[in-house]
Amino acid sequence: MPRRLRYALAAPALLLLGACAEDAPLDSLKPAGPYARMIDNLVDPVFIIAGIVFFGVQIGTLAIAWHFRRRAGDDELPTQTHGNFKLEIGWTILPALILAGVAVATVLTILDLEDHPDGALEVTVIGNQWWWEYRYDLDGDGEAEIVTANDLVIPAGEPVSLSIESRDVVHSFWIPRLNGKRDAVPGRSHPLLLQADEPGVFRGQCTEFCGLSHAYMRMRVVALDPAEYAEWEAAQQEGASVPRGSLAREGMELFRTTCSGCHLVRGEGGNEDVFNGAALVSGAAPDLTHFASRGSFAGALFDLWRDLDGNGEIDADEIGGEMNYADLKAWLKDAPSQKPMSPNDGRGMPNLNLTDAQVDALVAYLETLE
Amino acid sequence: MAIVERPTEALTLPPVVTTERKPLGVFSRPKATTGWRSWVTTVDHKRIGIMYGAAAMFFFIVGGIEALAIRVQLARPEQELFSADLYNQLFTMHGVTMIFLVIMPLGAAFMNYLVPLQIGARDVAMPRLNALSFWAFLFGGIFLNTSWFLGGGADGGWFGYAPNSGVVFSPGHGMDFYAIGLQITGVGTLVGGINLVTTVLNMRAPGMTLMKMPVFTWMSFVTQVIIVFAMPVISVALFLLTFDRLFDANFFNVAAGADPLLWQHLFWIFGHPEVYILILPAFGIVSEIIPVFARKPIFGYPFMVFSGIAIGFMGWGVWAHHMFASGLGPISVAAFSVSTMFIAVPTGVKILNWMATMWGGKLTFTTPMLFSAGLVAMFTIGGLSGVTHAVSPADTQQTDTYYIVAHFHYVIFGGALMAFLGGFYFWWPKVFGYFLDDRLGKVNFWLSIVGLNLTFGPMHILGLQGMSRRVHSYRADYGYDFWNLWITIGSFIIALSVLLLLFNIWRSYRRRHLQPAPGPDPWDGRSLEWSVPSPVPVHNFDDTPVITEFDDWWHRKYAEDESGRLRKVHEPEEIAQVGDGSRAHLPSPSYWPLVLALGLPFVGYGLIFNLAIAAIGGLLLVAGLVGWALEPADDPDLPPHGHDDDHPAADGGDAAAAAEVPAATPDEEEVPAS
Amino acid sequence: MTDAALHAPAASTEATHGHPTATGLSNEKLAMWVFLGSDCLLFGGLISTYLLMRHRSVEGPGPTDVFDIPFTSVSSFVLLMSSLTMALAVAAIARGDVHRNRVWLGTTAFLGAVFIGGQVYEFTGFYREGLGYTTNAFSSAFYTLTGFHGFHVSVGIVMLTTLLVMSLRGNLGPDRAETVEIVGLYWHFVDIVWIIIFTIVYLIP
Repeated sequence: MPRRLRYALAAPALLLLGACAEDAPLDSLKPAGPYARMIDNLVDPVFIIAGIVFFGVQIGTLAIAWHFRRRAGDDELPTQTHGNFKLEIGWTILPALILAGVAVATVLTILDLEDHPDGALEVTVIGNQWWWEYRYDLDGDGEAEIVTANDLVIPAGEPVSLSIESRDVVHSFWIPRLNGKRDAVPGRSHPLLLQADEPGVFRGQCTEFCGLSHAYMRMRVVALDPAEYAEWEAAQQEGASVPRGSLAREGMELFRTTCSGCHLVRGEGGNEDVFNGAALVSGAAPDLTHFASRGSFAGALFDLWRDLDGNGEIDADEIGGEMNYADLKAWLKDAPSQKPMSPNDGRGMPNLNLTDAQVDALVAYLETLE
Repeated sequence: MAIVERPTEALTLPPVVTTERKPLGVFSRPKATTGWRSWVTTVDHKRIGIMYGAAAMFFFIVGGIEALAIRVQLARPEQELFSADLYNQLFTMHGVTMIFLVIMPLGAAFMNYLVPLQIGARDVAMPRLNALSFWAFLFGGIFLNTSWFLGGGADGGWFGYAPNSGVVFSPGHGMDFYAIGLQITGVGTLVGGINLVTTVLNMRAPGMTLMKMPVFTWMSFVTQVIIVFAMPVISVALFLLTFDRLFDANFFNVAAGADPLLWQHLFWIFGHPEVYILILPAFGIVSEIIPVFARKPIFGYPFMVFSGIAIGFMGWGVWAHHMFASGLGPISVAAFSVSTMFIAVPTGVKILNWMATMWGGKLTFTTPMLFSAGLVAMFTIGGLSGVTHAVSPADTQQTDTYYIVAHFHYVIFGGALMAFLGGFYFWWPKVFGYFLDDRLGKVNFWLSIVGLNLTFGPMHILGLQGMSRRVHSYRADYGYDFWNLWITIGSFIIALSVLLLLFNIWRSYRRRHLQPAPGPDPWDGRSLEWSVPSPVPVHNFDDTPVITEFDDWWHRKYAEDESGRLRKVHEPEEIAQVGDGSRAHLPSPSYWPLVLALGLPFVGYGLIFNLAIAAIGGLLLVAGLVGWALEPADDPDLPPHGHDDDHPAADGGDAAAAAEVPAATPDEEEVPAS
Repeated sequence: MTDAALHAPAASTEATHGHPTATGLSNEKLAMWVFLGSDCLLFGGLISTYLLMRHRSVEGPGPTDVFDIPFTSVSSFVLLMSSLTMALAVAAIARGDVHRNRVWLGTTAFLGAVFIGGQVYEFTGFYREGLGYTTNAFSSAFYTLTGFHGFHVSVGIVMLTTLLVMSLRGNLGPDRAETVEIVGLYWHFVDIVWIIIFTIVYLIP
């Protein structure tokens, strides 16, 4: 079609996009992987068709309103047309045909999106009020070798097969730049594929209303290049060692006595022997064995590290840099004041009435959990 | 339901309440025709329609305030003016209020007032049941809103997904108010549906075949049929939720093996037909207004009727498009994706037919016409975003984001509400006997259009950029700040336009004597309501009209002259009915629908707080039912009706009276019992 | 146009008050049909719920553990017979036999009560075998479905008894045959729903 016309039709779309902020980490119109791209490629023509109809109806209505307005003093009745059968049949059939075309493309895309490639990394994603857990059963023996939270670490350039589940209410797992969302329904397991073209960080949001902190139930996908990913996988399978510093050891003791009702840290430097996990309705709180290897905490509500390069994101190379002590200490001091939760009902982290010194000790311990 | 109807002759209503006979020895039959008592005991469809409209506008303000609170919170990122808990109540109650307590009753207001008039009837089939519908709606709405004062509003979203709506995750009473409150209003809606379906099928004037009914009546009829079949499904869902919450049942107890998707399926099997309940009356209104102000008939009457019927049918086959991300599996998703696309076809036909009605017409842009043209333009936007949702992979990006919020506000606000506002301006002179100021009306319209588009237009962008629904706050660096602020500004423009409407109503009422009376037919209308005086007399028609064609009233005013051109041959005042009610007999007012409806919230409070209260409610229900059953539709004590007075009212009349059945003629439309 | 075309179809109405309706059915009868149509969806929702939940119990008795098909067959037969007596009641009043009408109305109500009694007996038995309302997924769905049906039967018994009392007081003559017929419609519907429930819940595993 003529260039000018193409631009004219694209103008509203461009206008809208132009009015968008530069920085929209959850922008579904900026696919960063093949699945999101398939969706985008499917829906862009539909947006264009919709745009054409939009302009047609708006301009048409305005034009008709202007052209056929009753002139002053004109009291004659207009021609009393009752209808035009052929025309009406036509504008019943034509939209149906257009939609049929869209339908065919849609069904094909649905099938393509379901195509699970063999050998993909499999991760179970479990929604809890108000954080996400990730379990990697690497050898397929039914036991998860790696249990993490908040940051879902995946290899870039490869498909990852997720099984989305829930331990309490319905949540929804959504990383807009990588794929559409899938609900996490308790008692069910739903498949979803993710793939990031390049290493990077991709943000997500729980998108099924799940109570008090629905807005604050977030997640990040951290895609690493395959070599880094392999390193990460190996490191995650080791348990925590006993910390060397005295403050950190103090923190470890405190952790064992105060936090074992909910949180688990594996290894000698952890609390496997005293952990019971019984305090929560969902029965689980984030596994903290490698807490300091993550970029975010508290359901990805807070960044764990400082954004040193100022690009608005905690990249993989900033993990282990400067810790965000302010938010972390505030969280440990009084979690419910930082994030709406219902700890008295067994949902969320309570205020543990720690002194500042105790908080410092815990932070020192958590820093060792790399 | 009274067992027998004894026809009476002329109904003269003395202004004073008499105390002649006391049915059941307790209450005398209400006789007041003025004052609040006459409203509280009315069974007149017109008064019931007015009450629906007034109550709906009250709840509109409540829901509007809830909306403004939401927008104030979201105007800036990371604000916590309202706690997350309160915010969750605000958006839940906003949604429930707007859908169930505003849009549905506004539709009911128009359907109740107009359908009997448009089909040439005296009233609906069962006038007391009609009153029950209204009171059940009102008491249910009040009951639901008392939750604010009794522990907190409902907080599980208007869609109340399980298990979040259960006692473990919503331990307060809010969701009990939600479940029980909607059951109470649901009783009213269902019963109204049965009533209106019967009315349209049975009580059309002689000669009015189905394909001669006005489009508004047709759309109302389809709406009521949908209601009859959709309400029981939500009722089941709400029962299951209530039983889980109050009696520890296991319907949504995942640990006991339940599947939370059961709630979603039940809710949306109701929920999707529900949106057609919201919009079809509005489509009907616009189909009445545009022909009048274009001065030509609706383009393609059969297509308009059949597209409405098609929407009514197809609406049952698309519900799972609300569940594209819920894990249904690709086959179900594909099937519902395709069916959802095709339901756009009949809706598109309507848009084009309205445009074609305007084409070649001589358009006068009064306020009603502006609102109607507004619907054509604005609903289209909502319809188009709807088509993009039908593409299910795209919907997995769009669902539960502000893109969806944009969609449904365009179709509900830009669609249904636009039509209702236009309908107010159009039928106000008919209902009340004076006009709403048209200049203020035009400002009302333009403020609405600007407010609507500024508020909901940018939400498309926010949604595609990933802003989730139902979030009490959003991060400052996600790129949502700019549009959220403008959206909030837009919402206040909407508020301004609503205030203007209320001001217009108040001012026009105050100045009503300063304008000339509208007469029966100020707009040169096409349907039967314009053939009777304004305001409509209590008995509607002096003589039941005999219909020969569609737009019958119009064709009595206009006929073809020798050269085949349509000319006005009668002024409305010459041929309109004059309001002589001497040949009419009417159903009598009654307390019992009010009593019965009153029992319902008592049962509700009792289930939540204390069973003794429920027992009181039960007694009211039984008393209401018994009193109703034993009460004849027409008061036997009213003079004079030519029957013997020796039958006590308590037994509902006797066989002798029933045997005195006058021959049915087109002139004497008998109003049946119930 | 002829005069005839100007008037509504001269329907033979069965209305007790004789005004013509476009469908030929009285408003009350048509309304009952519409109501029964909505009730189909009510039971449809409950039956679907039951079908989904009946085999999803994690613990507690299941259908095969508690059902006594022979017993329920007998009570189903009783309800079925009550539809027969209902039809006889309608036929009686239509031909003016007020006395027979009373007999059959009473019998129908009695048979309905026997059915309810049978259900009460059956459910208390289940309860003793460990199937309470809150026991498991199956129990909640089962008792809710049959409970709603039992409630409908009970309402029917109330209506039948009311008609019987009216008849005894001389207020239910042949001119009011339609009232009996409308209650009959309701009663037959409730019976048909039971046949469906009995088949789906008890007979088909």
